Amino acid sequence: MDHARQKQQFQSLTRPWRDRLFSVARRQTRSQEIAEDWTQETLLRAWRDFGQLTDTMAVYAWLLRILNHVVADDSRREARRHRLAPMLMIADDDFLQDHPCAAPGPFEQIMQSRSDEQVIAAIQALPDNFRQVVMLRDIEGLSYQEVGQALSLPGGTVMSRLSRGRRLLAGLLIKTAAAQALATNATGNKEPGHEKN
Amino acid sequence: MKKTDGSHDNMTDHLSELHLQLQDWLSGYADGELDAQQTLIFEAHLAGCDACRTEIERQQSLSRRLQQVAVNRMPGALHQRLDTMLDEAQHSPAQNAMPRPWLRRLAWARQPAAIGGFIGVTGWALAALLMAVLLLPGTVTSMTPGSIPMMSDVLQEYQNLSRTNLVQQETPPSKTELPARLAGCKLVARWKTRVGGEPAEAFALQRGNHLIIEYRITENVFYRNPNVRQAITDYGDYRIREQQLEVLALPLKGAGLLIVGPAGAMPHRREFIL
Ligand SMILES: [Zn+2]
Repeated sequence: MDHARQKQQFQSLTRPWRDRLFSVARRQTRSQEIAEDWTQETLLRAWRDFGQLTDTMAVYAWLLRILNHVVADDSRREARRHRLAPMLMIADDDFLQDHPCAAPGPFEQIMQSRSDEQVIAAIQALPDNFRQVVMLRDIEGLSYQEVGQALSLPGGTVMSRLSRGRRLLAGLLIKTAAAQALATNATGNKEPGHEKN
Repeated sequence: MKKTDGSHDNMTDHLSELHLQLQDWLSGYADGELDAQQTLIFEAHLAGCDACRTEIERQQSLSRRLQQVAVNRMPGALHQRLDTMLDEAQHSPAQNAMPRPWLRRLAWARQPAAIGGFIGVTGWALAALLMAVLLLPGTVTSMTPGSIPMMSDVLQEYQNLSRTNLVQQETPPSKTELPARLAGCKLVARWKTRVGGEPAEAFALQRGNHLIIEYRITENVFYRNPNVRQAITDYGDYRIREQQLEVLALPLKGAGLLIVGPAGAMPHRREFIL
C-alpha cells in the first residue's frame, strides 16, 4: 500500500475546495474557531472515506455532505443556534405570508443595498433545513442535483426548501431594511445601525 | 398562526389549493428547473396570480444578490494545519468495496476492423488516412454508463480525429515539450481540448505508421475514478484495452497523462520518459 500516493491523490482532489468548504462552514457559525474545526474534521473524515468517492458524485458535493454530517454531529450546534439572531425566530407558516410591503424601495434595490454581512446574518437566522439549501444553491452555486447529493435530499425537497427558504430570507431582509430605514429616520444617522441582528 | 400585516384583504383568495401547492415550485420556476409539464401548469397559474409573479421576481433578485456574496478564504495557518493533519493521518482510506476490473473492457468499442495495408507507408497524411480505414466509422456509438468519462473522451477523440485530417491541427513548434517523451516519435500536431469536463492538452505523435496521442489532463479529472486511483496507488499506472485501442494512464507532477494508441503498437510504460 502506498499511502503517500493515495494522500497525494486526495490532496489534489480536495485542496482546490478547501476555501469553499471553509466558507460554507464559516457561514454556519459565528465562531472562526468552530468553522476551522469543522473544516478539519470534514477533511479527516473525507480522507478516511476516500474510497467512497466515485465518478457519479462531484468532489465538492461529496465534501459538503461530509461537512453537513460534521456540523450535525457537533454538540456545539445547539449553542450556536441560540447565539444566532434570537430576534429572528421564524414561525413555521411564515412562508405562506406575503412579504411586508412597508419596505423602502423596490425589492431589487433593497437586495443591492444589503451588505454581505447583513445577508449572511439573515441566512444564519434561517432554520437549518432552509439555510443549508439556500446557501448551497445560491451562494455556493451548486445545481439542484448537487444540493440533493450534499444534503441527501430528493430533488423535490430541494426545490420546496429552496422556494420557502428564499421566501423567508427575502422577508427577513425586507424587515431588517425597514428597521434600518426607520432607525435612520429617527436618529438622522446615516451609518448602518445594529439592526442586522 | 398567521401574522396580520394588513392591506392583504385578498390574501385568502390567493391561498387557493393550487397556489399553495405551487409555492414549492417557485424556486424551480425561477431557476428554470421545472420540466415542460410543470412549467405549463405554473405559467397558467402565473397569468392570474400577482402574488406568485412578484415572488418569482423576488426569488430571482435574491438569488442574484446571493451569488455576489464573497467567498471566505481560509486562513493560511489552517491550510498548514490541514496539511500537517493529513500527513500524520495514520490509517489509509478504507478499501473500496467495488470490484476492480483490471483491464476494463469497453462495451462500445466493437469488432476490430481488418488490420492490414499498414506497412511501408510514409507521410503523415497517408498514415492518418489509413487510420481512418482501420477505425471504421460507426465503431463509436454511445458510452456505457459504467465507463470512465476521461477514458471515453480520449478514445472518442482519437477515433474521430483519425477519421479527419490531422494536418489541419495546429502545427507544433519544433521544441514543444511533451508530457512524456518517447523515442522514435515525431510530434505532428498539438491542440487544446477537454477531457472529463476540464481543459486538456493533446499531443499527436507519429511512431512508425501509428498514431499515438498523449493527453495532459488535470489531476482533478485524473483521480476521479476510484479504480484508477487504486491502480495508480498499487501499480503506478492504469490501463484499459480493447482489441483495437489501448489507453495508458500515468500520473504526472500536478497533472495526469493519458496515452491512446493502437493496442498492438502501444509502447511499454517504461519507454515513456516522464
Ligand atoms: Zn399563486
